[in-house]
Amino acid sequence: MPDKTAAAPHDAHRPNVRLFAAVFGALLCLTLLTVAVSRLRLERPEAITVGLLIALIKGGLVAAVFMHLWGENTLVHRVLYTVAFFAAFLMTLPILDGHYFVHLLTNPAPVAAQHPDEGH
Amino acid sequence: MSGDSNGHGAHEPSFWRKYVFSVDHKVIGLQYMMTAMSFLMVGFALMLLMRWQLAWPGAPIPFFGRLFPPDLAPNGVMSGEFYNSLGAMHGTIMVFLGVVPLAVGAYGNYLLPLQIGAPDMAFPRLNMASYWLFLGGGLLMLSSFMMPGGAAQSGWTSYPPLSIINPGQTVWLFSMVLIITSSLLGSINFLVTAMNMRAPGMSLWRLPVFCWAQMVTSVLLLLAFPPLEAAAFLQVMDRVFHTSFYMPKGLVVLGHVSTVSGGGQPLLWEHLFWFLAHPEVYVLVLPPMGIVAEIIANNTRKPLHGYKTIVVSMISIGVMSFLVWAHHMFISGMSPALSNFFLVTTMIISVPSVAILTCLIFSLKGGSIRFTTPMLYALAFLPLFGIGGLTGLPLGLTVTDIYLHDTYYVIGHFHFVVVTGSILALLGGTYHWFPKWFGRKMNDTLGKVHFWGSVVCMIGVFGPMFPMGLAGASRRLYDPTAQVHNLIVQPLNVVSTVFAYGLFLFQLPFIWNFFHSMFRGEKTEENPWHATTLEWACPSPPPHGNFDKTPRVHRGPYEYSAPGRKTDYWMQTDPA
Amino acid sequence: MITTAMDNPDTHSGVSNAKLGVWLFLCSEIMLFATLFTSYIVLRTGASSWPWGWDALNVPLGTLNTAILISSSVTIVMAYARAYDKDVKGFRLWMGLTLLLSFAFLVVKGFEYHGEFAKGIWPSTSLFYACYFTLTGLHGIHILGGIVVNSSLLYMSFKKEHWDNPLFLGRVEGAGLYWHFVDIVWIFLFPALYLL
Repeated sequence: MPDKTAAAPHDAHRPNVRLFAAVFGALLCLTLLTVAVSRLRLERPEAITVGLLIALIKGGLVAAVFMHLWGENTLVHRVLYTVAFFAAFLMTLPILDGHYFVHLLTNPAPVAAQHPDEGH
Repeated sequence: MSGDSNGHGAHEPSFWRKYVFSVDHKVIGLQYMMTAMSFLMVGFALMLLMRWQLAWPGAPIPFFGRLFPPDLAPNGVMSGEFYNSLGAMHGTIMVFLGVVPLAVGAYGNYLLPLQIGAPDMAFPRLNMASYWLFLGGGLLMLSSFMMPGGAAQSGWTSYPPLSIINPGQTVWLFSMVLIITSSLLGSINFLVTAMNMRAPGMSLWRLPVFCWAQMVTSVLLLLAFPPLEAAAFLQVMDRVFHTSFYMPKGLVVLGHVSTVSGGGQPLLWEHLFWFLAHPEVYVLVLPPMGIVAEIIANNTRKPLHGYKTIVVSMISIGVMSFLVWAHHMFISGMSPALSNFFLVTTMIISVPSVAILTCLIFSLKGGSIRFTTPMLYALAFLPLFGIGGLTGLPLGLTVTDIYLHDTYYVIGHFHFVVVTGSILALLGGTYHWFPKWFGRKMNDTLGKVHFWGSVVCMIGVFGPMFPMGLAGASRRLYDPTAQVHNLIVQPLNVVSTVFAYGLFLFQLPFIWNFFHSMFRGEKTEENPWHATTLEWACPSPPPHGNFDKTPRVHRGPYEYSAPGRKTDYWMQTDPA
Repeated sequence: MITTAMDNPDTHSGVSNAKLGVWLFLCSEIMLFATLFTSYIVLRTGASSWPWGWDALNVPLGTLNTAILISSSVTIVMAYARAYDKDVKGFRLWMGLTLLLSFAFLVVKGFEYHGEFAKGIWPSTSLFYACYFTLTGLHGIHILGGIVVNSSLLYMSFKKEHWDNPLFLGRVEGAGLYWHFVDIVWIFLFPALYLL
């Protein structure tokens, strides 16, 4: 793998203090915003969507700027894509199964239908 | 971390620094090897006790029965609780403290830096920490037998609610956290070493298959273990702080309604556990496959058939192994739609495994095979691992799994994969690399006695389990005669037990051979097998820092019998 | 001797050992917290009822802690910027601030826990509180780990030999990466437990 970082001018990695201050302000505003939205007491699905969206933006800002993922070596990006792929399966499949569990709890009828001789 | 002065080539370190608290990957590898082999023997001994109870239920254990405290074995007869503890600890010790540390900690640690031409691991002190965490976790696990409440009794899978009600589980969980942390540190170290420390010219496609296997294995350990760590934390909370992550509402235990707040889901544990434990199966299998590939290439004196196919198959096994976990849960009450998904992925993952095995078998074709001791193990691995793999297919299909899942068939399948597959290959690897570790060869005659005795006995132990399982014998019974339909296959249990004791006897020549050859074996030079890979290009045993000067790599790993050359091997380091 | 492989661009990934190691460690941490969030979602969707954060927890204190942790993320990145310029005093100042803020986080957390215990609320009270105490507790352990790493870096900054070591900046960067990760986890924990 060619070493791209070594070839780049040294100052490309220089920490950008102004950018940090701007991100700090944005993070504080977003925190207040998410608390304020929560105070409105929206319906749960809407509240979760908004809350998750704001958290994603905040997390993205920290990762991109503070962890300097923006402009990081592509190897690190590739490693993170791999993890995201596996984490996606780790999260979705058990959650889907959890929904089936809820379905059984709220709809016991199909279970009874499978064992008609046990009914009264 | 890296780059600190570790005393390479500096003054001679003290005995403690050199052999006990060493940061040298070779010493740590041998520490892992000794420890893991001891744990293998302990796990094996536990099973020998259980086999007695299975063959002659209710009969007092001869000689040793009286040594156990009366609450475990009243009058020398094993109690049910003791049997459960032995079963749980056998599985845990064999998988987490025996085979994985041997395959990864021992072989990986010793050989990976040598095969890539590196002076040491990327983080030598992290490597040492990894070993000591592993040892601590292992000793804690063993000590649980002596603790109040005894050892864990809920199987190596620790399914709740049983594992939360049963005594002894908390120590199991804490030692698992130590072992998992050790594996995580190890796998980070392996990956960084393989990505950054290869010798000049050692491009990824020139890496030996063994290195690829270790890299894929490290990814599996890195990403699959944390879910079990998190799940273990939740189980600790359930046990110590009486939360109810895994405890459903209104659970009735021994006639009393449980007082926990409830709302938890036992199936959640099963998902998280198997998210680890299925990749774990491939952690058990991939490094041994790498070992077999090295031995076969060396002893057929020709290049491996389909090197790239093997590597790509290993990578696809690694990826797919994360997507098949719930085929262990077909009868757990999981969503049928998910069962179908996992059935399909399970059928897909068998393709790369068969591809690897096929490549290894084709590698034999047209070779001038040297039947050395390690080669015998590699050759036996091929059909026996094949049996283990193919008997797994009916378990991956939901319809047949419903019948077979709780029977001895599963035990037979799994042990054919791990014992006649992984352990056989790991033993073969010992004979193969012993000259590198100690500069001396192991005795060939004793090696062949060990090989033939072990293979026959292994088949004798696990072979009868297939007919037993097909006859419906449950794998969870303390007393197999408690069910009338088991009586017809009970003689097979006796056969299995007799062969298990035979297997034990045939390990004695190996143990003697190992320690005797370490000091008295026939001396060998740098490259006794006329092999091509880098570990044979440095002295045996390699000094601290491994290579006199950084080696240069000029070609792929398996250049045997190249036309127009005087010797039939062409080392990776040979300039021309 | 160990870093000789750095000289071979064809067999070196281009990311330093320390940074690659930290990122791989963070990968395992991602899987750890992904598991915890998965458990949280599965248990929550399976529960018959789930309290609203404002009714069950102290949201103002949680918000305060969010602000503290975000600030500490900025101070540690500032410490890295100072270390990048070999500004010894500036590094000590910002790293010291980071440590102060991390202790402040733990103190506020302690007050929060104390308030709940005083009301007779324990992890065993309900599944919601079980999730709350376990997730925030594990996050707290990560904060403690960060404090250990950061204070050892602060200690090292008082010795000149470390400033002469080219790897020191990499260590500061690695510690920063970990600390930002702990911050990101809290950014998701906070709404999940307190707000939604």
